[in-house]
Amino acid sequence: MIQSSVSKPPKKGRKSVDPSLSMFQRCSALMNNDESRAVVLQAIVLAAVLFGLWFLFANASDNLDRLGMTFGFDFLPVTAGFDISWSLIPYDSSMSYWRVFFVGIVNTLVLSACVIVVGTLIGTVVGILRLSDNPLVSQMARWYVEIVRNVPLLIQIIFWFTVVFSTLPAPRQSYHLGEWLFLNNRGLYVTSMESTLSWGWFFLLVGALAFALYGLFRWSKPYYTLSGTRSSGFYIGLVLWGVAAVWSVWFLSQSMTLSVPTLQGFNYSGGAFLPASFGAAFVAMTVYRSAAIAETVRAGMQSIDRGQYEAAFTIGFSRVQSLRLILIPQAIRSIIPPMTNSWLAATKDSSLAVAIGFPELVSVFMQTSMNQTGRAIEIIFMVMGFYIFISLLISYLLNKYNDSVQYKVR
Amino acid sequence: MDDFNVKNEPALKQFIATPPRLPPKNERGVIGTILHRCFNSIGNSVLTLCVAVVLFYLVKHILDWAVFNAVFVAESRRQCMALSADGACWAGVISWFNGLIYGRFPMDEQWRVNVGVLLGLMWLLPLMSKRIPLRNFILLSWIGLYPFVGGYLFLGGRFGVELGLVHGTMTCFALAFLVMLYMNWVLSALGYKGVNEWFLPLVSRWAERRIHLMSFIVVWVLITFGVSLGLSHVSLEPVAIERWGGLFLTFIIAGFAITMAIPVGVVLALGRRSKLPVIHWISMIVIELVRSVPLITVLFMAVTLLPIFLPADMEFNKLTQVLVAVCLFAGAYMAENIRGGLQAIPKGQYEAATTLGLGYLHTMVLVVLPQALKMMIPNIMTSFISLLKDTTLVSIIGLFDIMLMARNIANDKDWVGLHTEPLVMISVLFFILCYSMSQYSLNLEKRLKVDH
Repeated sequence: MIQSSVSKPPKKGRKSVDPSLSMFQRCSALMNNDESRAVVLQAIVLAAVLFGLWFLFANASDNLDRLGMTFGFDFLPVTAGFDISWSLIPYDSSMSYWRVFFVGIVNTLVLSACVIVVGTLIGTVVGILRLSDNPLVSQMARWYVEIVRNVPLLIQIIFWFTVVFSTLPAPRQSYHLGEWLFLNNRGLYVTSMESTLSWGWFFLLVGALAFALYGLFRWSKPYYTLSGTRSSGFYIGLVLWGVAAVWSVWFLSQSMTLSVPTLQGFNYSGGAFLPASFGAAFVAMTVYRSAAIAETVRAGMQSIDRGQYEAAFTIGFSRVQSLRLILIPQAIRSIIPPMTNSWLAATKDSSLAVAIGFPELVSVFMQTSMNQTGRAIEIIFMVMGFYIFISLLISYLLNKYNDSVQYKVR
Repeated sequence: MDDFNVKNEPALKQFIATPPRLPPKNERGVIGTILHRCFNSIGNSVLTLCVAVVLFYLVKHILDWAVFNAVFVAESRRQCMALSADGACWAGVISWFNGLIYGRFPMDEQWRVNVGVLLGLMWLLPLMSKRIPLRNFILLSWIGLYPFVGGYLFLGGRFGVELGLVHGTMTCFALAFLVMLYMNWVLSALGYKGVNEWFLPLVSRWAERRIHLMSFIVVWVLITFGVSLGLSHVSLEPVAIERWGGLFLTFIIAGFAITMAIPVGVVLALGRRSKLPVIHWISMIVIELVRSVPLITVLFMAVTLLPIFLPADMEFNKLTQVLVAVCLFAGAYMAENIRGGLQAIPKGQYEAATTLGLGYLHTMVLVVLPQALKMMIPNIMTSFISLLKDTTLVSIIGLFDIMLMARNIANDKDWVGLHTEPLVMISVLFFILCYSMSQYSLNLEKRLKVDH
């Protein structure tokens, strides 16, 4: 054993304080010791934060008293009494503020889901076009991205709303596709199916069918991985599944009636309706999001070693094949984290639709309801809570997915 | 096998590469490149032609609308339509140009905005010169002192009446600093010593240490007296904050957010990296909460909740509330950028700093933060660009920034319904600003590239 020439560090322990020290010196000694300093600092910060919170809430209760306002969530079951121009779940003005909150949430989620799906598709295509060998194509993709992402989203939303969607013809002269689809400055009217059954049955059937198909593939997978062909049981199952699908479509169509939009007075009735504000918000946000995603995709694709592409080319893959089989699966790893952020941003950006009066959460709850009830604190906390919940949820799910895609490094 | 030559002398075995062969003949030159890259297969040729045709029509229509058929001089929209129905009516934008730039700032006082912006730029001009030492302090002085000068010019008022004592004094100090800065610059260009050294012999008679600093302070105070004597004779017409607007207001909000983002972000990022659990958790909660809500809800919160949560006798105008909200929002986003930079600093840097005996503050300020900030410049610039774009949101809560001014043109009785042209105009403006910022950031990134 090698004898260390370094003397052992002195044993740690609470040193007794020299009684001859003055009060000030004792305090400074406290600040010069790492452990005690940490405690003191944290205590100071915690005290400051708690005092700040106490100060704020004391002020709030004073101000509320002074203004004759009350705090509490008792306004939620009260009748809202205002109309909402578009809602996916049934709503009329005799329903409560709770319902308004949920209408806002559903509209926000629908808008952001549409933007995320279409924006990701377009963005991926544009991002790949930017890497095209054809200079005309790649430059056009580049300038699309540059122009779109350097102009504020709010300007784009208002531009699409006032310049494009509001200048469409009036309902009487609307653009139409046969008698099925009408586009005018109020929005888009589409022929829809109306069912006497509740939507629950519909979702149940579709869910059961999807689950059965998934189960079938899952069940036949071991045989497929061993032999490379599907077993005959799989095909029998597939035929049975097809029969069940046809039967359920027939079953559903029994209770369905077509609802065709028809002009009555100045407006259409019947059919499904998408307001112009939805169209403008959707188009503007999709374009904006696609530019952001195109940049993400391009960066991800460029992060792959060029040798990969050359190797794929050497073994005779076409451009599409090498993209699909070699490049994209590898690029996904570096694309997913920024893509997550982009999707989160899309959800948050959907709040900008308030500027053109699309009835999403901020518009119906934070503006109209807050003006009517005056419950600023409660409403703002509810809205923020919703956004925080959604953000945490999306980032949690995508982190899970991200973990499963990344290289396993041990 | 004579593609490469290996000298066969045993002592000097050396590889000499032959120069690369030229590309095949049909890929050389401009026409060759175009043919090779645009028309190398049938599919590609069709694609090229389609893109070219689409581009041609797009450019033609845009030019027709914006330039060839446009009306630049007209009295009202009706006249515009009469002159050319299918062209842009730039006359409306031109007649509202002052409104777009200055908002509702009084016409006669608009020179003050120009002077203020010019002074701000002048203050930063010495940063370009390599002759001036301690240029970081010029930037710091801009952040710390320029707002007083700007506030004085934009708000107006006489000393001691509308203008508070502190604000007035700080304005004098700030102007004195600017004067001194330029005197020093000129003197150093002529090869003389700076003004701050004039009192060195006098000061060194009384004191032994920090004589440079003391001489500097003496000169600064003296010049401040001169400036305050001059300023006390000047009285500017007071302008209410509610009348600020247009591009000017956009710049104020964006400038404030950009300057405050870094300090707030540094504090939050260091807090989040702290080993002390209380500080770590508080910073993390603040960062994550602010980052997961949209800016518009933060703005609404500032406008509606700040008056409730603060004492009743504290008066806030809308601009202050918005500035608080934007500052918090920008800081939280910046904190994540800076945290990325902090994480990328190798552990050896911290250990080396500790070995040298530097404490936490010195380690961070002198060793870690300069490297982290430099490394994160591209991300920080991206944040700045998105901040500039996000300032348009203040129009939703009713501040007359350039966006709301542009939308207001359509409500003017002469220009009813003129939506497109103002929107296009401010889009182009934002595009130019943001695009040049992003190009500048690319340039900066190349210049400051640290990895070898």
